[in-house]
Amino acid sequence: MAHFRVEGSKVLAVDLAGDAVRAKNGSMVAYEGQMSFKKLTGGGNGLRGIVTRRLTGEQMAVMEVTGRGTCYFADGARDISLVRLGGDKLHVEASNLLATEGGLRTGTTFTGLRGTSQGNGLFTTTVEGQGLAAVMSDGPALALRVDAQNPLQVDPGAYIAHTGKLTQKLQSGVTFRTVIGEGSGEAFQIRFEGEGLVYVQPSERNTIGGEL
Amino acid sequence: MSDPVEYDVRTLPSNDNANPYAFSVELAGQWFLQKGKMIAYYGQISFDGIGHGPLDGLIASSFHSPLHAADWVVANGHGKLLLADRAYDINSYDLEDGNLTVRSGNLLAFEPSLSLKQSIIPGFVTLIGTGKFVAASNGQVHFVEPPIRVDPQALVGWADCPSPCHHYDHQYLRGFLGGVRHLTGIGGASGEEHQFEFTGAGTVLVQSTEKMLDEQSVGGTPQQQGVPGGPPQP
Repeated sequence: MAHFRVEGSKVLAVDLAGDAVRAKNGSMVAYEGQMSFKKLTGGGNGLRGIVTRRLTGEQMAVMEVTGRGTCYFADGARDISLVRLGGDKLHVEASNLLATEGGLRTGTTFTGLRGTSQGNGLFTTTVEGQGLAAVMSDGPALALRVDAQNPLQVDPGAYIAHTGKLTQKLQSGVTFRTVIGEGSGEAFQIRFEGEGLVYVQPSERNTIGGEL
Repeated sequence: MSDPVEYDVRTLPSNDNANPYAFSVELAGQWFLQKGKMIAYYGQISFDGIGHGPLDGLIASSFHSPLHAADWVVANGHGKLLLADRAYDINSYDLEDGNLTVRSGNLLAFEPSLSLKQSIIPGFVTLIGTGKFVAASNGQVHFVEPPIRVDPQALVGWADCPSPCHHYDHQYLRGFLGGVRHLTGIGGASGEEHQFEFTGAGTVLVQSTEKMLDEQSVGGTPQQQGVPGGPPQP
């Protein structure tokens, strides 16, 4: 059984005993023992994955790592958080997903219109099953709890992932003032309603929304 | 195992850091924010650009910098608001009937009980009054007392009035070898010939890297008489 642990805050160490994990292609920084690395085409979802990822633009280059020993992963000195899944579904941007345990399934799903302001496309990656997933963020991630009384609004550039039964919709503050150059700079937010956890990073990707 | 710290609307700190890189504001009323620094919020909050009609009174009393107006918004409402900036260190400061000058790109947010004015030093703004403000720095902020000379890129701001001025070190230009260096560029320079010098009473804030936050494209000297760089007197 693969064992995930984060060393410091920016390196993921995975102990393997003959089993497999999936990780972002090229994210291995070191290993001890015997490892083999195999690039999976289409995000590891088979032929269907190849087609859907090509069509949706949610590209994800994934490799399968098998072996015995410890393998270390890191990417761009970004901070790593572990998310434990017990049968629920994690929605995460492909660029923020570092590694998943072998038993987890990944797929793509339509997220609605919020992608338009995010520059990340209309689709997002889902991770389902039992096990751990390692998610990357620029700066340590914060998990924000959403419940029925307390919906949460998130800047699209700071959103990295969410779990639970959440509905999201794009909330726009665009008014005529935005058009005449007096925009508020916070023109778009993703509004999460329901029950679940939203992961945000203390940083913003450049988004179209950020300019307005 | 590194689980991200989990917060909900009640456990988020009130006007304090949620982690070294994110600051949580308990909003009940209005705050000034620099555009694009909000990462998430709970509650009912609206964001209005400066120049929004109903905010005229507030802006007249707390915001005295037309140059920076395009980069600031007013958050209005009730809830908890998370601020962050490119995963840089975030600190909050309390002013009590004081003044503090800070690089305009580093200032994230301030309470309207403070009043923001453009500093006569280009690229800096001065906060005057009593209240809380939030600023970012690349690496931790160090507080030092004048007299001190500071690398221009490492300067975050200063409090009270330590009379900031430029200091040029001409030691390396002296003598025959120095003259050759100066004329030919051979031998190079240490890159530390120019500093900001502070003397007098006050505190100087220095960040631990020389990487500046992107400066806002504002803060040039106004092109008018009596200001360095302005037109000559007739």
